[in-house]
Amino acid sequence: MVVITTKKPDEEVFEALNNFKVKNVLIVSCGVCAALCQTGGTEGAEEWSEKLKERGFNVSNAIVSDDVCDNRVMKKDLRKIEEDVQNSDGILTLSCGLGVQSIIEVLTKNHPDIPVFTANNTEFIGMTERIGRFYMRCKGCGDCLLNETGGICPVTTCAKSLMNGPCGGMVDGKCEVGDYEKDCGWILIYNRLKELGRLDLFAKLRDPIDWSKIGHQREVVWR
Amino acid sequence: MEMTEVKTYSKLGEALAKGEFILTGELEPEKTTDLSHTIQEAKEMAPYVIAANVTDSPLGIVTINSMAATHLIQKAAGLECVWQMTVRDVNKLGIAGMIMGAHALGIRNVLSLTGDHTALGDVPEAKPVFDLDSATLVRLVREMVDKGSINGNEIEAPPTLHVGAAANPNAEPMGAEVLKIGRKAEAGCEFIQTQVVYDLDRTIEFLTEIKKYKVPVLLGIFPMKSYGIAKGFDTFVPGVSVPKEILAKWKSVKKEVTDKKEQKKLYDQYNYEFFKPFIRELREKKLLAGIHCMAVHYPRIFPKLKDIIEN
Repeated sequence: MVVITTKKPDEEVFEALNNFKVKNVLIVSCGVCAALCQTGGTEGAEEWSEKLKERGFNVSNAIVSDDVCDNRVMKKDLRKIEEDVQNSDGILTLSCGLGVQSIIEVLTKNHPDIPVFTANNTEFIGMTERIGRFYMRCKGCGDCLLNETGGICPVTTCAKSLMNGPCGGMVDGKCEVGDYEKDCGWILIYNRLKELGRLDLFAKLRDPIDWSKIGHQREVVWR
Repeated sequence: MEMTEVKTYSKLGEALAKGEFILTGELEPEKTTDLSHTIQEAKEMAPYVIAANVTDSPLGIVTINSMAATHLIQKAAGLECVWQMTVRDVNKLGIAGMIMGAHALGIRNVLSLTGDHTALGDVPEAKPVFDLDSATLVRLVREMVDKGSINGNEIEAPPTLHVGAAANPNAEPMGAEVLKIGRKAEAGCEFIQTQVVYDLDRTIEFLTEIKKYKVPVLLGIFPMKSYGIAKGFDTFVPGVSVPKEILAKWKSVKKEVTDKKEQKKLYDQYNYEFFKPFIRELREKKLLAGIHCMAVHYPRIFPKLKDIIEN
């Protein structure tokens, strides 16, 4: 599993830093998912160090961390460079949205005045075909249907996340959204269940998604 | 033999229960608060149809709200309507409220539709809702009407509406569409209106397949009032193609007949000649409960369609 990220336009990042009057930047780059997406890692850290310096910022340090999204790792890594943190008036993360919020989680107790920024947009939980080809196949809905849909997710592959598709927007197995270029998720499911000899599962009338279970600020806490 | 009493709430429901062969039309309110054109069209078709559908922002292009339009057209034109309700813009809570509101406004038929995606229309930035789908909307209506409840909670004075759904005989693969109709039937769908068809063999095959679900089918047809309309339909409606010989015939009218009145007469006549045997064959095979004419802004065709279904 990889959280897929893409780069924000440079100007948007500079604008965010300038808006907070940041001069001394600490770069925290993700060595895992963002490295795979070429939006972080060692290369990203070097690239952003250069770009920031060119624009007149000071770079107090640039570190690559294995798990920016893991509070424990972040706590440890930031403690090691406490002096650099103190000398920074802004942290730029080259990670997904989790990275930013993980840093805030461990940083704000001692450094409530240091703002944390992201250089990336978080796209989705992705499946990797190869580097540079990532696909959304799961939305993390919390109530997995894959056992009943031949292993293809309708919540993700159907543009309307329908539970009882296909809809009238399907033409020759393609979806109306995106000018009939993408496959209709429900036809993928139909074809797969047909291969498996289980069209009885396709025929089943399904309940709508239960949003009371999905909720907001979801947590998995078991100890 | 056990007799089950069929409750009817509208002229459409009554005619379907009696097994009458019926004709319905379609009205497409536009991006305006002034419904006078639509009401005029409704008045023109009223003597010939049992009811007319009122569309719900087709193609995701925002128009006046279909529930309000349905109510106003019924009131002003005296024509019973089928309120088209898509699950695109409103969640289950909102839809349930609208169903009660629709009843209170005198609406007695609803057609459950998914709706074209918001991304296709003129408000593409809007959040696509799709909380329900076309089958679970049917089930919701049936729960509210038959059980007088929503999620098991009693409605003091429940609504009474008949609920229908759509089917697409042109859909490929057909097997998926057939099973989907099965789901709609299981949900309690009382009638089906199909997508526009031109291919007789395909239509026979599809209607034969879905006959087992025992839901009365109104066949969607689109008589073409000009060559431009026929060509446009062929080009811009995905998944439906107008037969080449029709396009050629319509083109010849446009090219060879200069008198506008004569042109109109010929288009009407050619529509009659095409659809009469088409409908007759399906009717003889006992595959149809009626016809649903989707040609909007072409009310003058209805006397001819009425003639087809009566003779």
